[in-house]
Amino acid sequence: MKKYFPIIKSIVLYTLLTGATVLMSFPLFWMISSSFKTVEETNSPGVVWVPREPTVEAYTAIFKNPDFLRSYFNSVFYVTLALVGTLLSIAAVAYAFSRVDWPGRNVVFFLMLSTMMIPPQALIVPQYVFFNKLDWIGTFNPLIIPGYFAGGAAMIFLLRQSMSQIPKELDESAFVDGANHIQIWWEIILPLVKAPMATVATFLFVGLWNSLLTPLMYLQTIDLYTLPVYVSTLYNINQTVQPWPTIMTAAVLTTAPLIVVFFFAQRFILESVVVSGLKG
Amino acid sequence: MPENPYLNVLLMAALTVVFIIACSYGLGYLAKSIAKLRGASPKKQESTFAGYFFAAPWIVGFLIFVIVPLGFSLYWSFTDYRIASGEPTTWIGAKNYQTILFDDESFRASIVNTLYLTVIGLPLQIGVALFLAVLLNQKMHGERVFRMAFYLPVILGFNTAVLLCWRLMLNTGTGIINQIIRGVTTAIPPLGYVSRSLIFIEEVSAAFFLGLNTGKYNLMMKVIEAGFPADNRVPLWVQSPLWTKMSVVLLMVWGCGAMMLIFLAGLNNIPKELHEAAQVDGASPWQRFWKISFPLLTPYIFYNLVVGMISALQIFEPIFVLYRDNQPVVSSTISMVYYLWQKSFSHFEIGYGSAISWVILVIIMIVTVIQFRLQDRWVTYDIY
Repeated sequence: MKKYFPIIKSIVLYTLLTGATVLMSFPLFWMISSSFKTVEETNSPGVVWVPREPTVEAYTAIFKNPDFLRSYFNSVFYVTLALVGTLLSIAAVAYAFSRVDWPGRNVVFFLMLSTMMIPPQALIVPQYVFFNKLDWIGTFNPLIIPGYFAGGAAMIFLLRQSMSQIPKELDESAFVDGANHIQIWWEIILPLVKAPMATVATFLFVGLWNSLLTPLMYLQTIDLYTLPVYVSTLYNINQTVQPWPTIMTAAVLTTAPLIVVFFFAQRFILESVVVSGLKG
Repeated sequence: MPENPYLNVLLMAALTVVFIIACSYGLGYLAKSIAKLRGASPKKQESTFAGYFFAAPWIVGFLIFVIVPLGFSLYWSFTDYRIASGEPTTWIGAKNYQTILFDDESFRASIVNTLYLTVIGLPLQIGVALFLAVLLNQKMHGERVFRMAFYLPVILGFNTAVLLCWRLMLNTGTGIINQIIRGVTTAIPPLGYVSRSLIFIEEVSAAFFLGLNTGKYNLMMKVIEAGFPADNRVPLWVQSPLWTKMSVVLLMVWGCGAMMLIFLAGLNNIPKELHEAAQVDGASPWQRFWKISFPLLTPYIFYNLVVGMISALQIFEPIFVLYRDNQPVVSSTISMVYYLWQKSFSHFEIGYGSAISWVILVIIMIVTVIQFRLQDRWVTYDIY
């Protein structure tokens, strides 16, 4: 009997894990499956696991919907622009905190860590008034510009940890060869922290792509809407409701970039979360 | 100004970059000359310059986007500032705070809802996360695939599109979740009793929390009087005020992957010798989990508790997507941040909104401090 124990144990384990995986990914399956259904199938009282005759009607329709396409473009545009600036400024600040010895560094670093305690939402009201004074309501500026000032203390911290692990001798020998700090940052340090940079970029991408609150506040016309804001208008019981296959098609197309990015970056993410104890 | 919004923002981004670089040089040279005055060595001067040069984006941003807004909002919180009205702003002292803390029912509702999520949702979420982490910690083939599958919901988490899919699944009549519950309970009648007693427990506790908010417990009495749910009862997920919070809990449990990773890290840090020694002494796996792993995981449970509670205060997207168009249930699920948004941006009461922001800020600090104080009582940090 005893020798069967490991086998039973692994059968139980795999069953539990597979069960959990099925439950966890069920919404994703349901989203994809529903996007190929007809309206009758999504509203039917019976269970339609997989559509009997998959139809791509919703897909062809949504690619003809100018509002959806424009909000897709808006999302890609704003996320790209915000991501590049935020990533570079975070990399610069992380360099200052890890590779340079300057008076006041510890004080500034402590200040930066303490901003992690401030919920971002506590700042939205005064920031809104500030951007209103600048006449930035109804533009992309409020969603993009703040990130350029190294927004995201947790990300700076993550990158700083990786940069501090690089041996000091590297910079010193570069100094002897006559390189300056900007060259060392760009040509020596950054190429060595590609994996943590990828992690930070993924977190930033996910945060920006999913972001609803700020775009909702600042983009007030439908031609500026980003995907989350536009998709949220598709279903509202007080107005005309779009059919579910249409909504689920929009949902599949909205989540596809997230899944692709996660698939390629998961190796870095899962490791760095464990290392730094960060939440995504 | 050109009218094209895309060119507009590109131009503004370029200007910002120029501004930041100018600030970097400015701050760098300023720091360098101060270092020079204080008689630092040329090498020290150079590194002072570099330090401030590279840190300048954060320093400038901290001043513009954190310190100044916090200062202004502190000032406004004592006034009746409204952005839309042309009336002059007047100083009204602590009246906003008084209203929030003593008279504002919606604010009290948001506190009670957070309490529900903390008391009922967080233990469930932490429990599931811990369970999955223990399973994954068995070191087997395909661990990476499972880990990915469990973490994916964190990435998708609060995306509007995914939340709409939940809305479809949680539909009371035709939603897949209730269809499955109906199917299973008809096929296996004993499970019907389990499901109905769970429904009963949920409704009584939700009614109790709704009663906490209004101070009247009529609803709870009604639920208890109605007695054990009828045969065909199913959860009313996004439809009834008794269930709206449970739907959010469901989303929280679904997104437990982040907590799971923290627990995995914790399990990895437990020295193997401890388990081996206990095994030699004849301890069962169950005993080993509760006597060795669990006490050593308390710091991680503690961390997840703090983070989870703070994020419960900040839930926004699920409420917006699931309930915004269904006014009667909003107050049963509203979170502090959702309330802040509602007050500041649909009513444009900036003064009042600022006061709410400060209350949220103070509550988060108090929660953090209390939890750090209490942790000595029950968190085991060292074992040796």
